[in-house]
Amino acid sequence: MTGRLTDMQLDALRELANISSGTAATSLSQMLGRDVDLNVPKAFALPLADAVDAAGDPTEEVTGIALAVEGNVPGAVLLLVPPAGAATLCGLLGVEPGTEVGDSALGEIGNILGAAYLMALSSMTGVEMLPGTPQVITDMLGAIVASVLAGAVGHGDIALVLDSELDITGEPCAISFMLLPDADGVNDLLAPLGLAEANA
Amino acid sequence: MGELAVSGTVGDELVAIGLGSCIGLALVDRASNVAGLAHVVLPESQGKTEPKAKFADLAVPDLIARLEAAGAVRRRLEAVLIGGARMFAVGASLDIGARNSEAVRDALTAQGIKIQAEEVGGNRGRTARVIVGSEISSQLAGGPRTSLMSLNGALGVRTPAGAA
Repeated sequence: MTGRLTDMQLDALRELANISSGTAATSLSQMLGRDVDLNVPKAFALPLADAVDAAGDPTEEVTGIALAVEGNVPGAVLLLVPPAGAATLCGLLGVEPGTEVGDSALGEIGNILGAAYLMALSSMTGVEMLPGTPQVITDMLGAIVASVLAGAVGHGDIALVLDSELDITGEPCAISFMLLPDADGVNDLLAPLGLAEANA
Repeated sequence: MGELAVSGTVGDELVAIGLGSCIGLALVDRASNVAGLAHVVLPESQGKTEPKAKFADLAVPDLIARLEAAGAVRRRLEAVLIGGARMFAVGASLDIGARNSEAVRDALTAQGIKIQAEEVGGNRGRTARVIVGSEISSQLAGGPRTSLMSLNGALGVRTPAGAA
């Protein structure tokens, strides 16, 4: 039950997210040839509705890049980029935003970030996590986040979200990178750190 | 999400923003101007008991009970379904949207409630809006509101079921 995560457990998850997103930011920087700033990640365990609210204004239009995560700890990776940021990324990659090719390029960014992040996380925890094929969709933030979280949370009440923000230096482009582990998998991430839930 | 609201006050607005795979289930008694909206997230409760509106199988009976308590007459209740999109084939890689639609439909059938209108499926997010005594509408991101049912008593002329 992720509802009973302690502050120390959340700190540990935040640190895992920090290192993993650092690796992902390096990959993104190499891909785009730009510096990437990384903010301190957030880790929160909240009821589903609150987790969606925490992700931002539900009516805001965003581009979501989602990858299923397979392996010992299944779940999903979800990247959220505002439309202007998506256009910036497409521009840096030399493709037209809002087109099939543009979406495909954004999917590739999701692929590279997701793979780098999960590989770092796997090597720290020994838990196998593999990225699936990315899907790109532009819609209301609430609809995107809720749909992905509904799959990850399932019948539990609490959604665990590890949220890192990557900014392309000098560009109006902030990418929110979220790892949404399935409710049951959190213990497997914490166990190698000696922080498995006592009451699990 | 997983929330539910009921109102018997004309002009009140009940809104579920950003429905992806979730279902906005509206139940109304047009004659007495009582309406309710539940934000259903998953098809089955599988032993869970709360929050009721989160699960289709619990949401339908709970919404009916709350409407009756607010003065609605059960046999006059009509349903409108909004949402149930397939946004991503991610996560459990199951089509939660379609399963949600089906579960809500089954639960309504079991309660003998007719679905008067629906806007479900596809791959776009929607906002469901019930304005008591006015209308039930669905809205895509950045799009106009599409009226699915008039709740205006004067216009609420209904043909008997099966007449068409």
